[in-house]
Amino acid sequence: MTGDYNVCAEAQPESLNLLHELLQRAAGEHPDLSPADLMLFETAVIEIAGNVVEHGRPTGEVTWQFHLEVRPEQLLGRLSDNGEAYEGDLSSGVMPDVMAETGRGLAMAHLALDGLSYERAENVNHWVMSRIRH
Amino acid sequence: MELEKTIVGNAAILSCSGRLNMVAAPKLRAMVDQTVADGHARIVVDLTDTSFVDSSGLGALIGGLKVTRQAGGDLRIAGAPEQVTTVLQLTNLDRVLKSHSTPADATRDW
Repeated sequence: MTGDYNVCAEAQPESLNLLHELLQRAAGEHPDLSPADLMLFETAVIEIAGNVVEHGRPTGEVTWQFHLEVRPEQLLGRLSDNGEAYEGDLSSGVMPDVMAETGRGLAMAHLALDGLSYERAENVNHWVMSRIRH
Repeated sequence: MELEKTIVGNAAILSCSGRLNMVAAPKLRAMVDQTVADGHARIVVDLTDTSFVDSSGLGALIGGLKVTRQAGGDLRIAGAPEQVTTVLQLTNLDRVLKSHSTPADATRDW
C-alpha cells in the first residue's frame, strides 16, 4: 500500500507539530507500517525540520514544504525550504560528547535513516530522507 | 507539553506530558534552574507521559543534569517510553541518564 502526504508551513517551532500530525495520519492509514520504522523516521524528520527552524535564514521568513511517500519498501520524505543555502557539512554527523547540550540532531537523523541527502536547486534547499521498511 | 512540579521528600518530581521538543525544552530547562535555585537539587524528570523527545529535549535534560550536579544533587529520569529509550540509546545518553521505572524507584536511595 502506498500513500502521499503534503504539508507546508512557516519554519517556526510550533509548526513541527504539523509534521507529527502528518506522520500520525500516515500511520493510521497504513496499519502495516512498523511502529519502530515510523518512530525512527519521525525522529529524523523532526531533527532535519528543527535544523531548518533553528538555522534557516532570514529568520522568520523561511517556509518549508514536506512531502511523504509511504512506499511498500521504504518511507521517503522530502523537506524543501526557501531559506539561504545550508552551509554545514552533511557528512559531519558525528555524535558529540554525552555531556554536550547541542549538536546531536544531524547525527541522530543519520542513525535513524538509511539515506539522507541535501541539494540546493533554484534557490531552494531539498533534504531527502529515506528509511527502508522492516 | 505540560510541566508539573511535585515535591516529594527531598526530591522534586517534574512531570512532562506531551512532546519534549524545541518548543518545550527551554521551559523544562527553566523549571529545572528554578527548582535548583529554590533549593531542590535532586530532581526526577518523569517522562511517563512524554510522547516524543528530540535533540533539544535531550539537551535540556543534559543541561539540567549539569546544573543539579553543580549544586550537589542529581537529575534522574523515570518512566521513559520506547521512543525516548531508543533516542537515549542512539545518542549514548543512556550511559549518563539511566531510566528508572517510576519516580519512586528513581528516588529510592536519596
